[in-house]
Amino acid sequence: MVSNLLRLRWLLWLLPLAFITVLFLWPVANVFNIGLSGSWWQELTAPDALDALWFTTWQALVSSSLCLLLGIPSAYVLYRKSFRGQGFIKAVITIPLVLPTIIVAIIFSSFQKAHEFYSDIGMDFFYENSIYWIIAAHIFVNYAITVRTIGGLWATLDPSTEEAAELSGAGRLRTVVSISLPQLKPAIISAAALTFLFCFTSFGIILLLGGGQVNSIETEISVAATQYLDLTKASALAILQTLVTLLAFSISEIAAAGKVGLEQIDTGGYRARLDRRDWPAVLITAATAVGLIAIPLALLLTRAFETQLGFGFENFANLATRGDRDLLNVSIGEAALNTLRNLVIATITSVLMGLLVSYLLSRRQYKRTARVTNRLLDIFFLMPMGISSVVLGFGYLITFGSDVIPLRSSWLVLPIVQSLMALPLVIRLIYPALMSIDRSHREAAATAGANQAQTWWHIELGIIRGVVKTAIAFAMIVSIGEFGAASLLVAGDQATLSTVLYQLISRPGSTNYGMAMAVASLMIVATLLLVSATSIQPKAFARARAARRQRRLTAAAYR
Amino acid sequence: MTIRRIPKIACVFGAFALTTVLLSGCTANNPAPSASPTQVAPTKVTLVAHDSFAMSDELIASFEAASGFELEILKAGDAGAMTNKLVLTKGDPIGDVVYGIDNTFASIATDNQIIDGSLEPINFADVCFNFDKNWFSKNETVPPTSIFDLTKPQYRGLTVVTNPNTSSPGLALLAATVSLFGDDGFEPFWQALKNNDVKVAAGWEDAYFTDFSGSSGKGDYPIVLSYSSSPAFEIRENGESQTQAILDGCSRQTEYSGALTNADNLVGAKALVKFMQGKEFQAALPDAMYVYPIDQSIELPATWAEWAPAATKSLGSELDIAKNRKDWLKKWSAIF
Repeated sequence: MVSNLLRLRWLLWLLPLAFITVLFLWPVANVFNIGLSGSWWQELTAPDALDALWFTTWQALVSSSLCLLLGIPSAYVLYRKSFRGQGFIKAVITIPLVLPTIIVAIIFSSFQKAHEFYSDIGMDFFYENSIYWIIAAHIFVNYAITVRTIGGLWATLDPSTEEAAELSGAGRLRTVVSISLPQLKPAIISAAALTFLFCFTSFGIILLLGGGQVNSIETEISVAATQYLDLTKASALAILQTLVTLLAFSISEIAAAGKVGLEQIDTGGYRARLDRRDWPAVLITAATAVGLIAIPLALLLTRAFETQLGFGFENFANLATRGDRDLLNVSIGEAALNTLRNLVIATITSVLMGLLVSYLLSRRQYKRTARVTNRLLDIFFLMPMGISSVVLGFGYLITFGSDVIPLRSSWLVLPIVQSLMALPLVIRLIYPALMSIDRSHREAAATAGANQAQTWWHIELGIIRGVVKTAIAFAMIVSIGEFGAASLLVAGDQATLSTVLYQLISRPGSTNYGMAMAVASLMIVATLLLVSATSIQPKAFARARAARRQRRLTAAAYR
Repeated sequence: MTIRRIPKIACVFGAFALTTVLLSGCTANNPAPSASPTQVAPTKVTLVAHDSFAMSDELIASFEAASGFELEILKAGDAGAMTNKLVLTKGDPIGDVVYGIDNTFASIATDNQIIDGSLEPINFADVCFNFDKNWFSKNETVPPTSIFDLTKPQYRGLTVVTNPNTSSPGLALLAATVSLFGDDGFEPFWQALKNNDVKVAAGWEDAYFTDFSGSSGKGDYPIVLSYSSSPAFEIRENGESQTQAILDGCSRQTEYSGALTNADNLVGAKALVKFMQGKEFQAALPDAMYVYPIDQSIELPATWAEWAPAATKSLGSELDIAKNRKDWLKKWSAIF
């Protein structure tokens, strides 16, 4: 009986392993196979490559450190305390994650222009140096990840230690530094690692805000591959990038002891209201949320309503057309439906696959070798995050031709690539949550005679439901916003909102520009709705659910 | 039990890694064979085009009715990325026919023999500087009339160009300056432009919509590198274009179409190339893709004739851009 179960488990492993091997490893290996035949080692030691590696690393370190500095106080305000409108702010700061990079770049170019006064007060270097704006844009995009990761754990910490420290006279800052931060260490390290990864592999923001003059590893890969078909250089740099990302993650895993993911289990405990002594944290949060997130987003929204004759809904009315001079071959409605279809497929695939991998990874491993295998598998499934989308795109072109799997010119390629990109994020959310479930729950169920499937279905899945919802939200966000790999494949008549937006913005004429801004605003609204829908938990509803869960636990224990 | 399980997981893991390596070896060493002769006659023809391609539903229907093939359009990035993707997939092409390989990448296409037959010119566009007429009248400054003016002190800090490393109009301008000033003279010109505070944007979208003052972005720079046709799309309420092109120092980008080697549907491919050379398609080019038809007998739309004439003479057509660009770009990047 037991051995049957174990056999079943390794059969289950086949599904995600096949998924990632066929759809990720195989195409990437094909590119490397062509690229690594030449003098690839020399490409890595070329001065250009070393410059790019240095810049990519330090800007990612600076961006993620600043995200932490701003994100920790915000996590405190948004997750440890409670006040009216908190949910809305949480949703708003998530929007930048979903915006296509071309839009982020355009927003930030105008945002930069709004800061011309820096040159008036003699800070030319600050205004003109594009690196500051690249870092600002990276914070704009990654702030939400930091706040959610840290806040998620903070919300679950027992407040009594902090209260005790305050009662014995410690100031709030001192309490946070010496009591809360050490407890939050795993979350802080996780957040730093994720942000570092996203900034390290960032492409569009660096290319566009850097005016093409700032080179990161990813931009070097892209230019080498798409403009010179230099697959030797592209492969060498892609391997370097993958190694650095895996290294960064391994370090973080060791430092954080693998305890936390993007969001912890929400215990829904009592949270104190904001009080007067919180003002420094409130100030930092407000300044970041307004100055760095809301103002740039508002700039974009204003553009959407701007027409030749002042302000109005003309751009939105134009969405019913095919653009100036029938530029588009699909209507915006069709593109939106395609986006929705891709979103549904990508979300279902990545969340189911992520649940399966997390479940298999989280089974207890008593042997050392088993733990090592587990750790390897864990890292294995992280790989899509670090790979250059150019390399993946080229891999699809040469791998999925008309013979074996004729995938490359099928519309299915988009949702597949999106689910590959979302999968590591989903696993990072669900796996740690599963690991942190108190094993007594499982053992109680097992003692009561529940088999593994029943325990999983009734106990574990119930407990991590909140995390699964967050995972769904993030998978959807990846699906809407993912443009990198998608644009490097070949897009047929299956245009999505991102590709339509890009088509509109690459033509002169105010109608097309206005429509592009209107499409971007629609994407913002859609994100707001999606994120809110997955985070709203009316109090009565939550209470009823907690009661149900309790009943289930008790029933399972006595069954 | 646990002891038996571990090697199994490791085995699965290893087996997959091994399969991957083997699979990649096989496919890379044996390029996919072209369509077998026994295959049923194709019913559709697949066009590979760059991202800026546009063809109205009426034209698509017209081609389908005339040829009897269903038309499928694949977009494959900008001209450079598209050409390289076609070289990469030469043995098993992603489509039957290509549109949009320009004079920059034409030599790459022919050197790698990705075209069955020859590349046929379909249309051209002139990369020229545009200026914002309103800005110059408001600031009571005489607008520049030539590319040589841009290094003069009265135009300091007014110009935005695109980076030739990342944008095709940028590369076209670089080639134009090489043609104009020679291999030794183009660097001093760019140095002078830099000293005159020219701004470099990564792509055309950025430069035109964010930095240029004459477009919807309402930026700070009244002179931008764009196309001679762009003013036709900035006509305001008063019926006049807000912008104007400087018709000297322009670089002509000619775009070609051709059937792909190893295409599944060579008949359909050739039919589509013919169709693109035909009057119906040529006449639609200005409105659809903002370019001039290669067929000189086609009458331009009224707004074009008035606001967007093509350059009378253009630079750079004698250069092999693909062969020399790495060297030029290196020199350019050393300045900026």
